[in-house]
Amino acid sequence: MKISLNWLNDYIDLKNIPLDDIVAKLTMSGLEVEEVINEKEKFNNFVVAEVKEKIKHPNADRLSVCTVTDGKEEYTVVCGAPNVQENQKVILAKTGAFIPKGNFKITKSKIRGIESNGMLCAEDELGLGENHDGILLLPESAKLGEDLADYLGLNDVIFEIAVTPNRADALSHIGVARDLAALYNLPLHLPSDDVSESFADASDLAGIEIIDSINCPRYSARILTGLTVSESPDWMKNRLMKIGLRPRNNIVDVTNYIMYETGQPLHAFDLDLLSGKKIIVKSSEEEQNFLTLDSKERKISKGTLLICDSEKPVAIAGVMGGENSEINSNTKNILIESAHFNSQSIRKTAKSLGLSTDASYRFERGVDPNKTVFAANRAAKLISELTGAKVAKNVIDVYPKKIISKEIKLRFKRVEKILGYSITEKDIKNILTKLGLSIVFESEKEIRLSVPTYRADLEREIDLIEEIARISGFDNIPTIQRIPISINKKSDDSEFDDKIRSLAVSLGFYEMINNPLQNKHNAQLYGNPINVINPQSKDLEYLRTSLIPGALKTVAYNFNAYEKNLRLFEIGNVFNKKNEKEIKSFDDFSEDKKLLFLVTGKNAPDNWNEKSKNVDFFYLKGMINSLLNKISLDNVLNDSYYHNVDIFFDYKLEKKYNNKVVGEGGKINKRILKLFDIDQDIYCFEFYLDELKNIPVSKRKYSEPQKYPKSLRDFAFIFNSDILYDDVVRVIYKSSSGLLKNVSLFDKFENEQLLGTGKVSLAFNLEFYLPDRTLTEEEIDKEFKTIIKSVEEKFNAQLRGK
Amino acid sequence: MIPDDIRKINSDFSEEIKSVSNKEQLEEIRLKYFSRNGLISKLFEQLKNCSPEEKPALGKQLNELRNTLTESFNRLKESIEKETSSKETKIDLSLPGKYFQIGSKHLLTQTLDEIKSIFKTMGFSVFEGPELESDYNNFEALNFPEDHPARDMQDTYFVSDKFLLRTHTSPVQVRLMKKYQPPLKAIMPGRVYRNEAVSARSYCMFHQVEGLYVDTDVTFAELKGTLVAFAKQFYNENLQYRFRPSFFPFTEPSAEMDITCFICNGSGCKICKNSGWLEILGCGMVDPNVLENCGYDSEKFTGYAFGMGIERVAMLKYGITDIRVFFENDYRFLQQF
Repeated sequence: MKISLNWLNDYIDLKNIPLDDIVAKLTMSGLEVEEVINEKEKFNNFVVAEVKEKIKHPNADRLSVCTVTDGKEEYTVVCGAPNVQENQKVILAKTGAFIPKGNFKITKSKIRGIESNGMLCAEDELGLGENHDGILLLPESAKLGEDLADYLGLNDVIFEIAVTPNRADALSHIGVARDLAALYNLPLHLPSDDVSESFADASDLAGIEIIDSINCPRYSARILTGLTVSESPDWMKNRLMKIGLRPRNNIVDVTNYIMYETGQPLHAFDLDLLSGKKIIVKSSEEEQNFLTLDSKERKISKGTLLICDSEKPVAIAGVMGGENSEINSNTKNILIESAHFNSQSIRKTAKSLGLSTDASYRFERGVDPNKTVFAANRAAKLISELTGAKVAKNVIDVYPKKIISKEIKLRFKRVEKILGYSITEKDIKNILTKLGLSIVFESEKEIRLSVPTYRADLEREIDLIEEIARISGFDNIPTIQRIPISINKKSDDSEFDDKIRSLAVSLGFYEMINNPLQNKHNAQLYGNPINVINPQSKDLEYLRTSLIPGALKTVAYNFNAYEKNLRLFEIGNVFNKKNEKEIKSFDDFSEDKKLLFLVTGKNAPDNWNEKSKNVDFFYLKGMINSLLNKISLDNVLNDSYYHNVDIFFDYKLEKKYNNKVVGEGGKINKRILKLFDIDQDIYCFEFYLDELKNIPVSKRKYSEPQKYPKSLRDFAFIFNSDILYDDVVRVIYKSSSGLLKNVSLFDKFENEQLLGTGKVSLAFNLEFYLPDRTLTEEEIDKEFKTIIKSVEEKFNAQLRGK
Repeated sequence: MIPDDIRKINSDFSEEIKSVSNKEQLEEIRLKYFSRNGLISKLFEQLKNCSPEEKPALGKQLNELRNTLTESFNRLKESIEKETSSKETKIDLSLPGKYFQIGSKHLLTQTLDEIKSIFKTMGFSVFEGPELESDYNNFEALNFPEDHPARDMQDTYFVSDKFLLRTHTSPVQVRLMKKYQPPLKAIMPGRVYRNEAVSARSYCMFHQVEGLYVDTDVTFAELKGTLVAFAKQFYNENLQYRFRPSFFPFTEPSAEMDITCFICNGSGCKICKNSGWLEILGCGMVDPNVLENCGYDSEKFTGYAFGMGIERVAMLKYGITDIRVFFENDYRFLQQF
């Protein structure tokens, strides 16, 4: 909201207070000043000057070279305007002047070989209007050398203030002035609402009836007759323009002006367009169309609060008036509405219409119900002054049930309990009374205060404590540092995730964060996705069910940037519906934390002494297993293998705990790759992270490093190629009496000529060891032979080199 | 016999080592003279057959022989090794080493880690909560009445009438207070969503850390103390700060904490919108309504809460001007940190 300093000065004398101090005080009391527009600064280096001499530019037909003076110095200025003549009074932008249109600063520069020391300005270049026919010519009376800001009377400062939703009372100049009065301990001068009335009684000229008094607790109106609609005077137009409003006519301008003065939204009806000269406030009984004064047809839903005349709706209460009764050039008699509406009702209407106006914005936040008459009087007074209208006698004021001031109790002790320091009772009372509250009861421990109705946000003791803190300044609250211990158990929900992250990093993975919102297609690849009912776009409509689509999108993005070798991981939540019903409880959906690993491309950049290789399934599998080993999960999970059965994978490895899948991964299939425009093999593994986290792990115990030498043997067998390595290893271990400590596969090959069709050779290293003594050759030989025999028998395998 | 042999071995050895120029020849010498079956060992064996009168003198000579030879052998060995290694130094050591990829946590995770570790030293636990929340936990329990303009502060993605993507991490406060009795002191990091158009300055999803401390004697002064300690550790121990009154439905009094803009040192720049101050977090005393909604006696207990956006903090700290880079996952971005 824009607030003018000159306007504030109508109500509080701030002339002797430095601007910076006002800005700091406002910001530090909760009315944050986001921007300060100092008109005088804006027109720095612009002065009134006179053209002494004009000659044609030697190198350009359309340019002239002018000598101008500001009364002290002469400047050479190259000018392109067709209307520049000698002896004209003009506006000179000297070096350093900032031209808002075009966003540049004037510097000394050569134009076609002639040095130019400034610019003669057109109206639009100064942001003063839209005219660009030529430079702006000033009357002869303009004083040479005068600053432009002074010449134009532009000496105001405009504050852009961010008003928080609780501070409806500050949405006006008087509201802001009231806070400043409390902050500076200065008197607040309210403007006069003394109206000179004519003889005709308003209630003879119009009638008002409230049917829905819950949503419209009060309706006040003034009737004015015999007026002429025209432009507003300059002072009014200037004030409105400075705070960002477009002037319309002297009636509408006044209603806006009074709203920005008092915070009370007003609306003016053409009285002669109100059938039956009557206002009826009621909620609509059916859906209907209504043409608002912005010439838009609006659909009004049932239950919307409307202002009607005896026949038809004439305004959407608190939001916008109708075209059928708006002020026009022929208007002679008007009714000024100054009403109080229920904030929730207005908010509902504005939301359903998708229409937020200055009026609805204020009503939603809460307007003072007891200032309607004051505002109506102020408007009537101003309009009659500007238009010569007669103000009918008396305000029509329908106010069935007066909204009275609340009373709040404040305990002095409580102030200290919340803020952590003590403020004297005197200061507390002073702050609150300055803000318009009055003390109705006082004791040693507490006071009871009556709250003015413009402070609808003050309802409880804590609200008053905030006011005390705010006005006395948060800076005055000390900073206390102590470290009490809270929960006596170690608690960090993120510890396990962090451990996984560190391990992934040590394996060379980079962490990515993908947007959980995605398009329908990607979400529907897997699971039962949940959609947002009010998305910004179709691209961000569904919640992910898997981390894979997002990861593939990232892969495609990087491939486009020629990054083809990627090692990525992500931890993030996925969401699935549990049934087809609308989500009404936490039982209707699941939210699971997942962990994803992805590898693609080469395992390392090509290096002069070691060639890189393309990553493959076993590369990723190895990393996964190493990681699981570090968190003691390698031995509790079971692997199963599948081919051509999955949405995402060509083939996959499933990791299960107690028959429950906790993770799966493999090579992404071509169909999926095509969806993401990817032309390179991708390997992914996805875990349910919380499942992993919840697997009970036996604590690691120290085991002594081997003391006695281990003995090594190796062998190779020819198998039918449909056997599983897993099965072979299992048999090897099973057939050992316990001397065998480790088996590793060190070679695998298939060769039809050497081995025959459908055959594979697997070669293993075996390690034998006992913790308490050295094994003898005989013991090992015996064990080795037993193993060979069972492998031969179980798999019909053939020992090689036999 | 033996003295002759000693002389011979001595002279042969001296002759032979002259031509030794590499490790292989050196090994031959070692085997010939010093191994278990070498010439010196053999002489010692012969000593067994000598008479007890001769033994001491011969033994002494033999020992001397062995020591002299060993000494010259070792000298030779050293020089040959030096020569070999100096040959090795001829290779171009400026050739690149093998590349090892060490990955990294996302910059936002790193930023959060730093924040977490500071608060953990101050006695805060760490709790998480779900992203898909009920309207009750996200708004109502936190004193955002339905049809209140305060809800406009946070544009919301709804998945149904009563469920939504949480707009802040504050619903985790509600969950914690309903589960535990005071004293309760925790930070709550997590992902939040806002139904806003994606641009350089705003994204539809981002991350926050929420903090909460409820006990019988928590005050605004302590809130200030805690946050000042955090900011000094996280940003700069000499920083200037201010607490500015603000409004959040779930705290009262509410404040925003500003620190001196560390980009322009307070003189005013684009980042701080010429104010010289950077807003880093929102905070306040937990509103009594929230305490009561969660089943705490608001007369007995008081508490403070605070929250900050991790993206904003990281953008300020690392000079990032477009929030979207966090979620594009450009490898060249990820590898920088």
